[in-house]
Amino acid sequence: MTQKLQTNLDQIVARYPDVPPLIILKTDVQRRGVFYSKAALELLDEAAHQTTGTHIFGARDGMIALRPESLLLRDGTSIITTPTPLDENPYLVDVKDGSPWLFDDGVALEAVDYWPAPDFYAKSSSSGVPMKNIVSARPQRLNIFPYRYCTFWNNNKGCSFCDIVSQLKKGGKELNIPAKLDPHEVGVVVGEALKEPGRFSAVFLTSGSIFSGAEPFDDEVEYYIEILKEVGKQFRTKKFPSQIIGTAFTKKQLQHLYDETGLMSYTADIEVLNEGLFDRLCPGKSEWIGYQGWKKRLVDAVDVFGPGRVNTGLVAGIELTSPHGFISEDEALQHTLSEAEDLARQGVSTVFIVWSPRPHTPLGNQKNASLDYYIRLARGLHALRVKYRLPIGYDDYRHCGNHPDSDLSRLLPY
Amino acid sequence: MLQVSEELIDLIQNRAVVKVIATLDERGEPYAVPAPFLQWSERGELVHLEPLEKSATNRNLLRSLWFGRTVSVTVYGPLGESFVISGHPIKAHICGPLFRHYYQQLRSIIHDADLSTAWIIKPISITDETYSRVKIKEEDEFPFSVHLDRLRADHYTTERILS
Repeated sequence: MTQKLQTNLDQIVARYPDVPPLIILKTDVQRRGVFYSKAALELLDEAAHQTTGTHIFGARDGMIALRPESLLLRDGTSIITTPTPLDENPYLVDVKDGSPWLFDDGVALEAVDYWPAPDFYAKSSSSGVPMKNIVSARPQRLNIFPYRYCTFWNNNKGCSFCDIVSQLKKGGKELNIPAKLDPHEVGVVVGEALKEPGRFSAVFLTSGSIFSGAEPFDDEVEYYIEILKEVGKQFRTKKFPSQIIGTAFTKKQLQHLYDETGLMSYTADIEVLNEGLFDRLCPGKSEWIGYQGWKKRLVDAVDVFGPGRVNTGLVAGIELTSPHGFISEDEALQHTLSEAEDLARQGVSTVFIVWSPRPHTPLGNQKNASLDYYIRLARGLHALRVKYRLPIGYDDYRHCGNHPDSDLSRLLPY
Repeated sequence: MLQVSEELIDLIQNRAVVKVIATLDERGEPYAVPAPFLQWSERGELVHLEPLEKSATNRNLLRSLWFGRTVSVTVYGPLGESFVISGHPIKAHICGPLFRHYYQQLRSIIHDADLSTAWIIKPISITDETYSRVKIKEEDEFPFSVHLDRLRADHYTTERILS
């Protein structure tokens, strides 16, 4: 990094010499968000770069506008950015020597690249929908969001940090994004995407929970199977590198999902590793499955997908929200890592995203945690993967890019 | 910018020339492997193509980029030309037009190859280790290291020993 660093960032870099400064910077950018200057936006070229609008969740400033989808650092790590109003003190993306750079307090910190647009973004499906609204991309991952609604919101029991439904309303209206994808059309777009040499190394699916079916969530499982079967037609191998973030399914459902498709890894986000907070902040998940049930199903999934092929995600920072969250970061960290270890020793990895409070959500007016907390959490989760030898290749910098803890695991030989 | 001779650039670009990249592991121990796809870029940087994500070299290059360590590349030509280039890995390309270019290049050379990362290494120093040249310099600068039998009155040589 060049020149003088912002004081807090500088202190954290000095405090944790085992953590790469680039990952600390990335984490802080996720924590504070970014604001794109006019000059930075002028560098944006829709033909060459990915622009915002295709994602299932919204931005911190609540806007859908033409902006870079996200950023790449020079180590290949992504920063999944959240455009943030200037009065919330975000990092600034501005221009230096004709290229985009991250700035803080007027100091140029790091050069960044906008995510390159894949070839298929320029094309439309046979039904006339832009292909990028059916399947989107990260630097090396194909994103499929089959269903942009979550039925936990039917009785207003969606997760307290989640804006999936408001984003759906905006996306459907402003961007012509279908709420529910046609599996055949998904397969066709994936086939088109695979024509680009060297671009993609994983297929990823996630949608809102669908609790309907003979057994709860059977419809969600069947829908994933339908999509994955169409996607699977594009590959010559039965299994292909892939990840799903779904609801915590029963072992029977998981086995069905595994046997019927090319799926190779499984994620069910528990969001917060504390039963009381899970009940309060994720009331739909609590009502239908429960905290202990969620954990059990994650562990059951290891029998189906294998150790090192199952994980869960945290929206880190919500455990510190008032009025029911932990008062101290030390206590939150200790509790979270203890629960994560309980999962790790049974073959389940834990990753986190930095919580970005979104407007129009119940927690939207609260602050996320300190940078120090996020770095300690990243080190702690990484250390558990080392201790229990859990690979995280299906959810690393290359395939997701949203987890500072799995960035650290890049140095592991497994 | 570091001055690089045409001779060295030609050697680097010649695929028949042996190139070795040495990196440091987590214990600080050196780890050297052949780098058959190493090349020189128009920007005056080395490009190292690392096919495997979890190779020791790929992880060591990342460690070097993250923590500011140097790596070194040895180039050894058919006529005994030898150069050691030390440098800093400054960028890991895993996508985008440049990555695609090198991905296709590698696949045109090796059947069904994959490419993890196109590493950009900025040279910071170049040392000429070509024996015929270094020998002259050493004997001029350190004449007391020369074995005397080589200077015997009846020893015939066409080589220049001590000026």
